[in-house]
Amino acid sequence: MLRRPIIYLTWSTMKMWSRDRGALFWTFFLPLVIMVIFGLLNFGELGKLDIGIVDEAQNEGSFQFVEGLASVAALRIEQGTSQSERQALSDGQRDLVIILPDGFGVEGQTSQVQALYHASRANETQVGLNILQSAIDQLNFSITGAERVVTLQSEEVDARNLGYIDFLMPGVIGMSIMQLGLFSVAFSFVTMKREGVLRRLLATPLNPATLLVAQVFTRLVVVVIQTVILAAVAVFVFGAEFAGNFFAVLLAAGMGGAVFLALGFAVSGWARTEQQAAPLANIVSLPMMFLSGVFFSRDVLPNALRIVTDYLPLTYLVEAIRGMTVQGDSIVTQWPNFLGLAVWLVVAFVIANRLFRWE
Amino acid sequence: MGTITNQADDTGAAPIIVVQDLRKRYGDIQAVDGVTFSVGKGEVFALLGPNGSGKTTTIEIVEGMRSADSGTATVAGIDVSKDAGAVKQIIGVQLQSSAFFEHLHLSELLMMLGSIYGIRVDPEPLLEAVDLAERRKASFRTLSGGQKQRFAIAASLVNDPAVIFLDEPTTGLDPQARRRMWDLMRDWKTQGRTIVLTTHYMEEAEELCDRVAVMDRGRIITMDTPANLIDELIGRGFQRTQAVRSATLEDVFLDLTGRSLREM
Repeated sequence: MLRRPIIYLTWSTMKMWSRDRGALFWTFFLPLVIMVIFGLLNFGELGKLDIGIVDEAQNEGSFQFVEGLASVAALRIEQGTSQSERQALSDGQRDLVIILPDGFGVEGQTSQVQALYHASRANETQVGLNILQSAIDQLNFSITGAERVVTLQSEEVDARNLGYIDFLMPGVIGMSIMQLGLFSVAFSFVTMKREGVLRRLLATPLNPATLLVAQVFTRLVVVVIQTVILAAVAVFVFGAEFAGNFFAVLLAAGMGGAVFLALGFAVSGWARTEQQAAPLANIVSLPMMFLSGVFFSRDVLPNALRIVTDYLPLTYLVEAIRGMTVQGDSIVTQWPNFLGLAVWLVVAFVIANRLFRWE
Repeated sequence: MGTITNQADDTGAAPIIVVQDLRKRYGDIQAVDGVTFSVGKGEVFALLGPNGSGKTTTIEIVEGMRSADSGTATVAGIDVSKDAGAVKQIIGVQLQSSAFFEHLHLSELLMMLGSIYGIRVDPEPLLEAVDLAERRKASFRTLSGGQKQRFAIAASLVNDPAVIFLDEPTTGLDPQARRRMWDLMRDWKTQGRTIVLTTHYMEEAEELCDRVAVMDRGRIITMDTPANLIDELIGRGFQRTQAVRSATLEDVFLDLTGRSLREM
């Protein structure tokens, strides 16, 4: 069985790959370090709103209200006296201070909730006020006896989206797949081409397709291992959300891997030396690393630029994975991103076929 | 120049390689310009000629690594242009500069190459034949120039080939290693293998070859046994400018440094 060229060659390729310390570093170690660093910095925590609450009412309604706010993941709640919270606000330790007056939430009484904020932090304040407004609405509904179940549920789903690690994990997985596909193929094939390894193989009855299959299959296995490791660390160490089907995520990872492998073959076909391959691979990968929503949301991009980035292969990959892990989407609901990946797969294959050379 | 007759049959063996009117052009350069020759089974045949004379291109067309513009080349009756894979299956090839995968050691490389031919290879005898058994766990890159050359030879033998093509197999080797290489080629000949080589060392061709073809500018300008070619030259009244001595400087070198291989 092992004597079949394709199986033996694949096995040999895996052996070679596992002995390549450089490849191991770039593929497993570096993405993990990036995720751990960003995970520990936890921009999600930094992005949380610090809300100070001064509960002057001290009744059942106010307790429930505070509890409700505390359950919103995006908020960090502190309680204190009017004086201490005002001080904390002016010291910059609070984004928003809410004062619940005497008689708050008691039926038949109207009460005015006071919100204090810094004019300089309008953005944070706006988010806080929106959440506050909806909490108050909810409370009003409950006091007047109207249906409130619907609003309550939507709050919970929203809250789940907001952890930075949940955003980061799909981004880092997608970025790692891109780097693996582009760089590992581009470099190893250029080296094999330059040194004459490919020429020597051309003197054997080896079918070129067999070599390509062995190389591609090996790297797709690596993509799967890489995805599993990154997801495992994100989920078990940083408590990231993994709502969707794991195998659907692996399918997206594999498709993305195939797209970037084909682009890697195109680069290795065009470049004659490693010195030519490196900048070209960087030109392809660097813009996507920053524009495809790996580390931050594409919403912050200028509108025109964002529309362009809609069509980048890494955008499709990262958003497909993110849709599945964060929102629990299926392949079916994520079909536009899968379609995008499929189109890119065809495009990348055509380019690779055009540019790839054995010598 | 005159017509070159096909003299393979003179050796009494049926031809295993038949090359007819091969042509190959690269841009403005006619690299191979109507080459015709054949090699008998079990024969040692050399293509001689200065760099750029078309030796390597000719050999690589016969090996199935390049396509010819016109003409035919067959090995064991198989047309290379029609079934290069079948030809590659029965030949062994040593290229002018060979390289192999990184991160596999020598034994693994030979087994991997064997798998391409569908053969389970025992790397030990192959490595022993080229005195590399002790470096079996080494990677190709860490070998010295001579060791790389020898490993490339071992690699060309994994499929027990009927025909072995050697492109400048002794270039860069020290005299000891070159003699060792000659011994190997003589062994292959006694095993009944056919050898086609190129070389810049005329004493090597004289020592080993049954027949040589001299190429220049893409053509074969003469083809015969080394002895006949020398006789023919002497017959035309040629005399060496230097007095003929019964020993060469290489003999002196080998006398002083011995014949055993230096780097195992």
